[in-house]
Amino acid sequence: MQHTLNITTRNEASVVERLLQVTRYRGYQLAGLAMTPLTDRAGLQITLTVQSEKPITLLTSQLVKLYDVQQLELASADVAVLRA
Amino acid sequence: MKGAELVLKVLQQQGVDTIFGYPGGAIMPIYDAIYHSTVKHYLCRHEQGGAFSAIGYARASGKVGVCLATSGPGATNLITSLADALLDSVPLVAITGQVSQAVMGTDAFQEVDVLGLSLGVTKHSFMVRDVNELAHTLQEAFRLAESGRPGPVLVDIPKDIQLAEVSEPEWPTLPTARLATSLANAAKARQLIAQAKKPIAYIGGGVQMADALPQLQAFLAESEMPSVTTLKGMGSVARANPHYLGMLGMHGTQAANLAVQQADLLICLGARFDDRVTGKLDKFAPHAKVIHVDIDPAEINKVRFADCALLGDMKQILPAISTATQCADWLAHCQQLKQQYGWRYDHPGERIFAPLMLKQLSERMPDNSVVCCDVGQHQMWVAQHMRFNSPRNHLSSGGLGTMGFGLPAAIGAKLARPQDTVIAVSGDGSFMMNVQELGTIKRFRLPVKIVIIDNQRLGMVKQWQQLFFNERYSETDLSDNPDFVALAAAFAIPGHTITRKDEVASALEAMFSWPGPYLLHVRIDEKDNVWPLVPPGAANEDMLTETN
Ligand SMILES: Cc1ncc(C[n+]2csc(CCOP(=O)(O)OP(=O)(O)O)c2C)c(N)n1
Ligand SMILES: [Mg+2]
Repeated sequence: MQHTLNITTRNEASVVERLLQVTRYRGYQLAGLAMTPLTDRAGLQITLTVQSEKPITLLTSQLVKLYDVQQLELASADVAVLRA
Repeated sequence: MKGAELVLKVLQQQGVDTIFGYPGGAIMPIYDAIYHSTVKHYLCRHEQGGAFSAIGYARASGKVGVCLATSGPGATNLITSLADALLDSVPLVAITGQVSQAVMGTDAFQEVDVLGLSLGVTKHSFMVRDVNELAHTLQEAFRLAESGRPGPVLVDIPKDIQLAEVSEPEWPTLPTARLATSLANAAKARQLIAQAKKPIAYIGGGVQMADALPQLQAFLAESEMPSVTTLKGMGSVARANPHYLGMLGMHGTQAANLAVQQADLLICLGARFDDRVTGKLDKFAPHAKVIHVDIDPAEINKVRFADCALLGDMKQILPAISTATQCADWLAHCQQLKQQYGWRYDHPGERIFAPLMLKQLSERMPDNSVVCCDVGQHQMWVAQHMRFNSPRNHLSSGGLGTMGFGLPAAIGAKLARPQDTVIAVSGDGSFMMNVQELGTIKRFRLPVKIVIIDNQRLGMVKQWQQLFFNERYSETDLSDNPDFVALAAAFAIPGHTITRKDEVASALEAMFSWPGPYLLHVRIDEKDNVWPLVPPGAANEDMLTETN
């Protein structure tokens, strides 16, 4: 199943690397990645799309723990699926 | 002042008085600041050893451990210890020197991308890019290392930052992170406990790390039920508790494993269903509902579904889920298992039987001694046959199972608790992995007691070869071991070798009555194995014992 995560992070040099490392290590396949600095440049808006048969919460619970991650949301289509 | 001096100021301000490390080019300004500082630096003989000493210090005291290393090889030598601290949730701050920013990214001398290398083995890694952020970053590192689920944090500091001028910052007291504790599921947990006919508490290292041992005893008294612990949880349950069944898992007691397999409710307290605990996961505690209490939300449902989860401060949660139980038959049944499968210490012949010898050591050692283990059969024998009154007194590399942990961890434990006896129990293989730390013991005349259980083998691997690889003993023979007593003597540490049962009592006496460091070399039969054992891929009730 495919899931899209909207993530706000600090604008630190290692943050994307860290997100990708956790994604790979926890066994989720990368299906898309987009990143833009927030207007004040202090943060990043990252959209991460992953593919896996595992429940997505096993990844999100690891990602929200990261020091540089400030906010993490499942894209609305995903939330609908989770609720269904 | 210089950035380097500020590093020492922050350490002091964090209450740090003991650090472990090894100097080198990219961290020389910090070592220059150490020269005049009141923070006491202990020179290790390998950065891995220094970091393990910091881990031993942290685990024996509950404080944050601090270690230092230079860039490149110094920093890469820390990686194993960082991984050890991550898997055992140990609060550790590692400070590494880095080449100057002007040459970073040019493959400069002793330049390694330590930040990148460390990401997978730390809770977080910082790189300081501006000297004005140095103090705050270090403070954050300490806060992060000990908050929530503790873990290692690395701070990489380029040399030019260490040399840059900076004015002493104001010291804002950072708000200590308040633990969000949700008791929303407490009523449900109490209901599950009250209704259970066969409840059991499965206790991990998290209870002690939350400082919740008194709350645990109160919980086990009110919600009277049997209990088992993980390797890291050992020592959590008061010795007087009659319903404690010992360690569970691959080398756990039969009573603990059988009881868990039969239970209808598993109350998992600060533990994480590690595969060495569960055996074949889908056959683990197959009849049990699960209440999972932890500080780390990511542990809930990670490997085993929780029917009821409570997140946050164990100290608040345990009283909130306490409730009377109705399980007299179950308690009696578990007592009977405990009796039926008690340890046996009869062993033919004159040679030393390690389980019995460790039981004697346990009975003879002063109360509140700290035992630091290495990894292998001797580690499991320590867990099985020694008794502890707190997990702070049993330091064993759990999650990473790192050979070479014991000796340096004992150095850190001794410095954290100079009044308490500290014993390193090592194997002939493991001892050689950080043997250079004898130099640290010598320099500071640290009265650490070292017991080497010598089977002239990489015993644990040999046991698996015997059982699961058709006795093909590939590369596990150590029969050309060095003379351990002579080796200790080279570091001015006296020692003695014993080979027979009847020598044990007097040898222990001699070791404990000697005021300084001491090495007791215990020769055992290479054929002795650790029992019981849950074979890989089997369920925990299918334990192999010596006779089957
Ligand atoms: C750094 C490291 N390398 C390899 C291993 C794999 N390993 C686990 S136990 C063991 C044998 C340990 O031998 P020894 O210290 O003599 O203990 P014994 O099992 O003989 O009591 C080995 C090689 C490990 N745990 N750690
Ligand atoms: Mg051995």
